[in-house]
Amino acid sequence: MNLNATLLGQMIAFGLFVWFCWKFVWPPLLAAMEERAEKIEQGLKDSEESAKKILDAEEQSKKMLAEAKKEAKKIMDNAKNQSEKIVEESKNKATEEKDRIVGSAQSEIEKEVVNAKKTLEKDFASSVMSAVKKIVAKEVSMSSYQDTVDKSLDDFRK
Amino acid sequence: MASESSGRTFQEYLEHHLQNLVYGPLPAGHERKLYSKGEDEATKEAYCQEKNLDYDGEKYCKETLTEDGWYLANNKTDVEAMGFWAFHIDTMFFSVLLGGIFLFIFSGAARSFSLDKPTKLQLFVEMMIDFINGVVKGTFKAAQNSLIAPMALTIFFWVLLMNVMDLVPVDLIPYPAEVLGIPYLKVVPTTDLNLTAALALSVFILYLFYSVKSKGFIGFIKSISLHPFGPWMLPANLFIEIIDLIAKPLSLALRLYGNLYAGEMIFLLIAGMVSINLTSFAGLGLNLAGITLSLIWAIFHILIVVLQAFIFMMLTVVYMNMAHEKFEQH
Repeated sequence: MNLNATLLGQMIAFGLFVWFCWKFVWPPLLAAMEERAEKIEQGLKDSEESAKKILDAEEQSKKMLAEAKKEAKKIMDNAKNQSEKIVEESKNKATEEKDRIVGSAQSEIEKEVVNAKKTLEKDFASSVMSAVKKIVAKEVSMSSYQDTVDKSLDDFRK
Repeated sequence: MASESSGRTFQEYLEHHLQNLVYGPLPAGHERKLYSKGEDEATKEAYCQEKNLDYDGEKYCKETLTEDGWYLANNKTDVEAMGFWAFHIDTMFFSVLLGGIFLFIFSGAARSFSLDKPTKLQLFVEMMIDFINGVVKGTFKAAQNSLIAPMALTIFFWVLLMNVMDLVPVDLIPYPAEVLGIPYLKVVPTTDLNLTAALALSVFILYLFYSVKSKGFIGFIKSISLHPFGPWMLPANLFIEIIDLIAKPLSLALRLYGNLYAGEMIFLLIAGMVSINLTSFAGLGLNLAGITLSLIWAIFHILIVVLQAFIFMMLTVVYMNMAHEKFEQH
């Protein structure tokens, strides 16, 4: 085993390999790996943040939901009250209307009755008069009995 | 396996497997010998004649070079004649191939990096980057230096891939290569001292560079001369510190080399057991034992392979940290 010029050749080869690795292999690989590490770190941070955001959002939505429920209840209550009021009012109105209609009908009836009475009275009086006239025409003149007839008519009115 | 089929003794089989494929200059007049293949003398001679070489009457074909030139070594004498300016083709080929695979995978992952849809390969690469980054951050604290982590990554994966070649069965690649005409082939680059020494030396040069850079030249001299006994024992300090200094690359290189070379050697020895013929009862037993041992050693070796790559990387980071420390008077 003797040393010879192979030694020099190998030193050159070694130098070239190390130089190549130093310039073209190590730096891009390390840089890429560091970039990846940074990316992962950033990703973890981001996910943590978004988890927090989700938690916040959840809380907010819960709050909003509760508020909405309250609001809805309020609206419902209002609506109930309103409807009760409306029902009450319409009931009142209806009663009033009924009273009014009934009243007017009554007065109408009374008027009718009065009218009928009047008509009846007139008809009756005239028919009586004509009957009397017919009877009296034969015996007595009409004027001598006019007072008696009028008197009896007054009695009838009462 | 190969020792039987290629007509070698076990000794020759071992030597063959422990020899790199060397390419280097040979002077004119050098006598080259080539191992001849064949059952008897006639076929051996025919083998040599086929290659236009002389036959030496025993084992080798011979050729005397007429001019200087660059050749693939056929044997140890060729290697010795080549001297320093020879190259281990196999070591360089496999190491560069494996380093290329490493860079291809990692740069591919870097190019197609997806933040939110990672592939499995990308996840693996990320895991490794994370692992190396963790080790470097935990150990290298003296200063900021963008080179240390990528260097640690390169060392770890390159050495790991080269070590893993040790788990490839010892004859799986060299034997077909030999059939194709490649005389020697060592597929585990880290069993070549040249490679481990190159890594260690590179790390050592960086160590010296950063030491001087962070402490200043004077500070660096002080750090090896005024420690550990104080200025009045300067020669002793220098002696200890220089040994300490030299021990760093030496131990780095030899630890990796030794571990992997020994591991490979054991695989070869076990492979030698398996090569004995299958006809006899004892031979069959040896084969079974060899296969079992090979499996056990391979499983154990997985640990060594990863551990040695990690240790080399770790020590590099530790040394770099030491180099970046400011000089402190104790």
